[in-house]
Amino acid sequence: MSKTILIGSPNSGKSLLFNRLTGLNQKVANFPGITVNINTGKSLAHPSNEFLDYPGAYSLQAISGEEKVAIEAFNSALNDPEISTVVCVVDVTRLEKGLIFALQVINACAEQQKPLVIAANMIDVLEQHNLNLDIAGLEKALGVPVIAVSAKSGSGLEHLQDTVINHRDPPSTYHSDIIASDESVTHRQAQQLAENYGPKGDLLINAQTRLDEFFLHSWFGGLSFLVIMYLLFQSIFTWAAPVMDGVESSLQFMAEFIIPLLPEGPISDFTADALFGGIGAFLVFVPQIFVLTLIVGMLEDSGYLARAAVICHKPLRLFGLTGKSFIPMLSSVACAIPGIYAARTVDSPRKRWLTYLAIPLMPCSARLPVYSLLIAAFIPASNLFGGLVGWQGLAMFGIYVFGILCGLLVTSLVSRTNQDLHSDLPFVLEMPPYRLPSWRPLLRNAWGRSKHFVTKAGKVIFLVTVAIWILGYFPNQGEALGESWLGTMGHWIEPVFAPFGLDWKYGVAILTSFLAREVFVGTLGTLFGIEGGDENIISLAEHIQNSGLPVGAGFALLVFFSIALQCVSTLAVLSKETGSWRLPAQLFVSYSIFAYTAAWLTFHIVEAIAA
Amino acid sequence: MTLWDLKQGTSATVQSFVSSLESSYKTRLSELGFHPGEIISCVLSPSLGAPKLYRVNNSVYSLDDSVASLIEVGSKTGNGE
Repeated sequence: MSKTILIGSPNSGKSLLFNRLTGLNQKVANFPGITVNINTGKSLAHPSNEFLDYPGAYSLQAISGEEKVAIEAFNSALNDPEISTVVCVVDVTRLEKGLIFALQVINACAEQQKPLVIAANMIDVLEQHNLNLDIAGLEKALGVPVIAVSAKSGSGLEHLQDTVINHRDPPSTYHSDIIASDESVTHRQAQQLAENYGPKGDLLINAQTRLDEFFLHSWFGGLSFLVIMYLLFQSIFTWAAPVMDGVESSLQFMAEFIIPLLPEGPISDFTADALFGGIGAFLVFVPQIFVLTLIVGMLEDSGYLARAAVICHKPLRLFGLTGKSFIPMLSSVACAIPGIYAARTVDSPRKRWLTYLAIPLMPCSARLPVYSLLIAAFIPASNLFGGLVGWQGLAMFGIYVFGILCGLLVTSLVSRTNQDLHSDLPFVLEMPPYRLPSWRPLLRNAWGRSKHFVTKAGKVIFLVTVAIWILGYFPNQGEALGESWLGTMGHWIEPVFAPFGLDWKYGVAILTSFLAREVFVGTLGTLFGIEGGDENIISLAEHIQNSGLPVGAGFALLVFFSIALQCVSTLAVLSKETGSWRLPAQLFVSYSIFAYTAAWLTFHIVEAIAA
Repeated sequence: MTLWDLKQGTSATVQSFVSSLESSYKTRLSELGFHPGEIISCVLSPSLGAPKLYRVNNSVYSLDDSVASLIEVGSKTGNGE
């Protein structure tokens, strides 16, 4: 099998091109540095050829950790006989920048005698604005095939794939009449090429500047940022609610249809309590994960996220972070794992380390089912201002803000007290052009994330739910949950959680949630299912309301879940990224203590107010 | 005068980097277009000390004071574009 490398500057549209060429679903965003690992996929047109998507790099001289991964791998790949061709992706709307990197790649390929093809991407944007690229002239000047493509529309891809298969001539080192003694020679060569063959006019940059004048305005920019963030959290409830209701009704309908058909006894009880009560309770929240991932993806793809990073830079600097920390932090709102990988784009080692401290406190989607459940149980579903603002959405916004503030509090304290990490790098961030989001990859990504949530977390939830059901059902066939094996164990741990008003059932659910946060919902669903016996199946939120849980304990649970680091995968990825278990172990212990103390305080404060 | 002092809508030519700037960053800034002799325009200068936007040919970068104040510029040419 032959292999083809895809390489290019950050945000050149390389990952979208990779998806088009392979039919895979690599994460795509309009933000520099989104590819953090080398992804592989077979060519759709020529299955005997495999494409390798490398992280974007500004130069073959790496200065950030992410670039080092790409460039070391690229240099060793050039010596690999299996690599038949290199495709360098250049964004034609910012031709000069792309050519600086492409010229370095031409020279590297010339040295190693590897065939090279230039993919001139985003040609559709030039066409929309009646701008032209002199493909033939550029091809002649560079001495390599230049293929005009649009990864977004798919135009030119067939020609690119055929050229990749058939072109076998390595390039020659690029020479021009520019003479300079410093590193600016490549830049000047690229500048000259862009002037001679690139699009003429400032149309694109002027349109971008007009939008920036609004989105980065001292007041409107901050205000629009707050509105966009608020709408993000409000939509998690309002947009997902009808689908959530639909999933819940379907599950209830299925349960009412299936359970009477089963023989009475353990099989029927297991189906009702563990399958519908436990796993069903968790499935209800999948639409929210879909909506959250879709909107975060939309913000990334539109180019707004880079502006949000600029807006957040000054405030985040107060907390020891940088505007670049905003992207991993927002990614962590979907899931901490891509957030940890995205932290590679924070080029300052000190700020990257501080970003790692904040990431586990970002309100990830695994917390969402727990938050939704507790908010549904304790916050009325009424609206304000004619339905424009809902109390539950407001509560969700509040708990998200609380998690973010906790993260900032930690980084602020650590950055002021830790003397070990004083070296720093300045803030330079490229502003990608504004684009209309590509819906198909966004929907595919949201679907993939939801599927991943169900399959990955679902396996853990299924195993834990079965174990919890067996321990809770026997030895007395579900007659008295408190006297079951689980009840006996639960009573041993009850004193740990009693200080913030929780009985043993919640204690067991918290302990199981240290595997993954979502398990809390499944465990609680199973426990209430067993306890409910032959009662009609009612929603888990209603079970919680009927259980007489004090309102202070509900708020304490919200606070506990927004701080505690209950995710084995996050700890494992952090250890991989930092090269040791030291930081994950420190974070696990300190955040557990922090969560417990904050929950205890919350319980007493809320109970005092309620009294 | 440094790049950070450049007013919105005006341009200037990069003259040199302040010697305290790390060499790897000098290289990166040069690769991005901020090299001596290049004309840079300040396209947006928000108040409250937020990072400013600078245009180098057909790319726009956001730089904060910690880096823009380390790039020395001169020969201000007036109304930018």
